[in-house]
Amino acid sequence: MRRLLTAAVAAASLWAAACSPGHPAITPPPPSGNYTLASLSGQYAFISNGEVFTNGSSFPVPLVRVGSFTADGAGHITGGVEDVNTAGSVTNAVPITGGSYTVHPDGRGVLDLAFGQNTLEFGIVLTSTSDGLMIDETSTSSQASTGSGNFTKQDTASFAISTIAGSYVFDFAGLDGDTQSACPCPESLIGQFTVANGVVNPGFFDDNDDGTLTSNASFTGTLSTDPLSPQEPITNSGRGIALIAGQNFVFYIVDASRVRFISTNLGMLSGDAVRQNSNFPLDVSGITGSFAFLVAGSSANGGLTRVGRFTAGNSNLSNLLVDVNDAGNEVQFNNLSNASITSYDGNTGRGTLSFSNGATTTFSFVFYLSSANDGVIQEVSGPSGTNTAIVVADGSILSQSGSPFTSSNVTGPYAMNWSGLVTSNNFQDEEDLLAQVTLTNLNLSGTADFFQFTSSTLTPLFDLGVGGSITIAGDGTSSASGQQNSMTVNLSNTAPIHMAVYMVNPQLAFFANRDNNGAQRIVAGILKAQQ
Amino acid sequence: MKSKNRLLLLLFMLAGSLALCLSLDAQQAMPSDALLLRTYNASREISLVGAVVKYETSSAVPPMGAHATIQTASGQVDVHLGNAKVLEADHFTLNAGDSVRIVGEPMALGEGTYFAARIVQKGTQAVAVRNAKGFPLSPASTLTPAQKEALRGVR
Repeated sequence: MRRLLTAAVAAASLWAAACSPGHPAITPPPPSGNYTLASLSGQYAFISNGEVFTNGSSFPVPLVRVGSFTADGAGHITGGVEDVNTAGSVTNAVPITGGSYTVHPDGRGVLDLAFGQNTLEFGIVLTSTSDGLMIDETSTSSQASTGSGNFTKQDTASFAISTIAGSYVFDFAGLDGDTQSACPCPESLIGQFTVANGVVNPGFFDDNDDGTLTSNASFTGTLSTDPLSPQEPITNSGRGIALIAGQNFVFYIVDASRVRFISTNLGMLSGDAVRQNSNFPLDVSGITGSFAFLVAGSSANGGLTRVGRFTAGNSNLSNLLVDVNDAGNEVQFNNLSNASITSYDGNTGRGTLSFSNGATTTFSFVFYLSSANDGVIQEVSGPSGTNTAIVVADGSILSQSGSPFTSSNVTGPYAMNWSGLVTSNNFQDEEDLLAQVTLTNLNLSGTADFFQFTSSTLTPLFDLGVGGSITIAGDGTSSASGQQNSMTVNLSNTAPIHMAVYMVNPQLAFFANRDNNGAQRIVAGILKAQQ
Repeated sequence: MKSKNRLLLLLFMLAGSLALCLSLDAQQAMPSDALLLRTYNASREISLVGAVVKYETSSAVPPMGAHATIQTASGQVDVHLGNAKVLEADHFTLNAGDSVRIVGEPMALGEGTYFAARIVQKGTQAVAVRNAKGFPLSPASTLTPAQKEALRGVR
């Protein structure tokens, strides 16, 4: 009932912000599927990146939370812990004292995490019984917070320092800890480390801190239990502390192949480290085939997204397609040149690549591969020889498979999440959407929760009807002009939102908005099939 | 010579633009300078002095964020002020007719140009809206140590 009332109030107050008269109302379909409360059972490591308005504050500040919750399979949260970093101010090992959750047949639900008298509310969409996507929908008298993230089932048998063994690739993004100049400022830290029994040696990193580049630097570090939080031994939730590239972190073990980090000094960084597997390329000849990538961050103009794809072979990159949104200026590139992998180190999985847009701009990136099929990527475009970048952005690179992409294989139930900036109510601020949609003949039908932090009441919209369609102009892996794939998302009573879509495989796609229809946006997200 | 060309370009922009209408032809003729205009460099900063004609906390024209149209001695200039909430957090208001001094530099975006403000000054109050590298600031940059400390405990 409370959600219904909230939705009604929000719908009224947000009319001007999110709704455009003249666009049709969309009735959400009845939830269908096989998910139940029992689909969420066990311990899950979660991460959410966004913003928070605290009581009395006139503006939001960035916030990231990483933690672990335990679901009993019957609608109850029985415990957990989280670490929170709010614009560099850290609150460690906050116990989750209880909570509840719902799961509809379509995998959508609500997750309430209780912290004593306070409760955080998240919208969730399960993508399997092992994982799901989430957005922060907290809107109380003491706190409104939004943000996008995910949760992944933890292997409790791996809750030991010794299980984190081997080489890992990491991507930590967020804000730096600079207190001297007008900061916090954007930072991206990616790299690779080898660890055994808690000793990290060697490690390598590329840091883009406010446009200042540190390239392929080495480091040593540690992973250990947290002596300051004896109430949360690593055996409880996989929680420990780490020193990586000179910065302190808290981590949560998902399993032996994935560890989730949040920084606890020198800024606000977060992200995952993923174990490199046995098929990661030992030389550049092993980097072959089609890849899609998505990076997001900042430029001097404002927010930035780049989503695209290329074909790699013999150090050459071909068939490049890239959609760029630089502070609300959207461009599609399909005539890029001078594209190549300019270096690759088979010991670490680190490489560099670049391509050009005519004579004016060279786009440069550093990447670390965790396998032949995936890795992390950081943009380092900037004046050559200066160790400076004109943007701070990073993200994922994944090999494409399963083409041709058609209505026959891009079909069925999907979770959809995007996050970024929107202009509405005469301000720019964060926007997060989480939806469950069913694709039938490439048409979307589903239900979404939608939180615009530009809303005067700081309340999300719940249970919006979603329509739209995906247009596959080519097979998604070729670069002939006009081969870009697109998606139109229709939200109830809202102008259509136009996305550029890059299929990774029939079960996963990257997307970013490709124009400002309805509202100026800089958002990016994923479409992920539900199992 | 190259730096002289850049200086001339900047002067050209300052004069012809301060309306900031660098022609597409000019961009094509001088690719290195076109690249230059996509890079914020504090050493190229200039001051713009004029009166506010219009202030918008958001504009339909990129870059996303607050824009002000400033009437200078040489014409009107579109100034991008970044996130309006930074100004709001500093209790800094802009109204038509206000006399302002803006430190920043011309930038290119797409096929257009605009003036990227780093510091906005009205009277004795000055507010930074970009950092020295040119990245727009968020309201978090205005937090005092006490306000930061108060954020501990956020769930």
